[in-house]
Amino acid sequence: MLDVNLSGLKLSSPIILASGILGVSYSSMKNVIDAGAGAVTTKSIGPRKRIGYKNPSIFEVYPGTFVNSVGLGNPGIDDFIYEIEEIKKYEFPLIVSVFGDSTKSYIEVAKKAEKAGCDAIELNISCPHAEVSSIGIDKNLTYSLVRDVTSNLNIPVLVKLNPNVTDIIEIALSAEKGGANAVVAINTLQAMVIDINTRQPILSHGSGGLSGKAIHPIAIKKVYDLYKHLKIPIIGCGGISNFKDVIEFFSGLSHKFKTQEVPDYD
Amino acid sequence: MIKNRIKTVKVLDTKIECKDVKTITLNMEGLQTQNYPEPLPGQFLMIWVPGIDEIPMSISGIDDEGNWQITVKKVGDCTKKLFNLEKEEFLGFRGPLGNNFSIPTNQNSKIFLVGGGTGLAPLRFLSQKLTSEDFEFILLEGAKLKKELIYINEFENNFNNSNFYICTEDGSYGKKGLVTETFHSLLNEYSKSKNKIYVYSCGPEKMLYEVYHLSERVNVELQVSLERIMRCGCGLCGLCSIDPVGFLVCKDGPIFTMKQLKKMDDFGKFKRDFSGKKIQI
Repeated sequence: MLDVNLSGLKLSSPIILASGILGVSYSSMKNVIDAGAGAVTTKSIGPRKRIGYKNPSIFEVYPGTFVNSVGLGNPGIDDFIYEIEEIKKYEFPLIVSVFGDSTKSYIEVAKKAEKAGCDAIELNISCPHAEVSSIGIDKNLTYSLVRDVTSNLNIPVLVKLNPNVTDIIEIALSAEKGGANAVVAINTLQAMVIDINTRQPILSHGSGGLSGKAIHPIAIKKVYDLYKHLKIPIIGCGGISNFKDVIEFFSGLSHKFKTQEVPDYD
Repeated sequence: MIKNRIKTVKVLDTKIECKDVKTITLNMEGLQTQNYPEPLPGQFLMIWVPGIDEIPMSISGIDDEGNWQITVKKVGDCTKKLFNLEKEEFLGFRGPLGNNFSIPTNQNSKIFLVGGGTGLAPLRFLSQKLTSEDFEFILLEGAKLKKELIYINEFENNFNNSNFYICTEDGSYGKKGLVTETFHSLLNEYSKSKNKIYVYSCGPEKMLYEVYHLSERVNVELQVSLERIMRCGCGLCGLCSIDPVGFLVCKDGPIFTMKQLKKMDDFGKFKRDFSGKKIQI
């Protein structure tokens, strides 16, 4: 009953695990599918192993609202192929989030992921605390990257949008023009937390991105605005913690929606 | 949930346990007034050393005033800075996180606590709890050398020779050999009795793996505390995921039972590094 066809991706449920959460090991991803998700998105994977920023890199600021600055830590596509192959043994849709340090490396990582059997690629051009954010804030760079990646792949390409821009619609339209099959809105919002006893930023990187409950109304507004202008599907994302949040995205807003499966930490 | 917020508190006290190991007492006075949740034996904290790093650490005990303790060994930048913290300096924490050791329901149970190195930390906390509830138990402590043994004076004061065994690999103190060897012979001896046997263990994973194998043969209630690299400590990042079941050490653990350990291919063999890459233990 909940079956959806998202730009050629056939999903048994429109709930997708958003990138960045639990998407580094095949066994955690499988547990998310067993819990009822229609697809999972991996953590962002790059051309080579990257340790990322030191801890503290994720913590809660208000109940259900987190800041993080992982700094794109990942094992690198060559080692991650093992996880893709393991997860594909369970035969459910897998979206691999990719980033690179050049158009060439974005394509290289995406092609390796496609070859390993993933069903769609999500382009991370919007991580607010790493260098890839520079693409997602520029409409021309977004257009050319999306065009070059989509023309080299045979599977759907989703583009994750950065909300830390003056005009998100302009960027989304560039992604659509470049051939994106869908957009994912929104990534985290730039944020910072300072400990008043030590007067130091708590995140090791200083600043990072805000996610969770606090950003949900912002995500709804961005998706609402995008819906008026885009022809391609929008995957709503941000602060979803219960079914009402999902319905809110769905209520006349996005074609499809997506939830961050924040585990119950109470 | 307040447990996942980072709070800074002052160091109330520090105590040298051996050359490279210290127990740090956190001043919890300010938080106690806010009805902050009390930790249970087996739970851990994410300890933030401002400007350096944040790492998971077992809670090693609670003092008479309800202040929490951790026991740290100098091994890297973060633990070195932690080791050198002085009274009144600030450190941050999140927690108590994870699950906890389950205490036996029957006072007649035979109970073993088997620890290696700084793995004694959560077992010290458990021993406080068991003692307060009038349980009798046998505590086994292992280390490579005499100078690496921790909590020795405290344990020797609290327990007698028949319920506290010390093992050093070089024989410089207590019995010579691995702690698992002494555990093996004690287990053989007690497995003949009809009382139910509980085994609690923490230490290097190779040691835990041996404890698991020995316990499996005689069918005991086993609970071990596992360690993995973590970013979030609350079930989000997946770095501490154990294949193929996907148990998360931070959320489903750190305490795992025999039944759970049996399902883990990674136990004693693999972990993930900070990038998420699977590596050998």
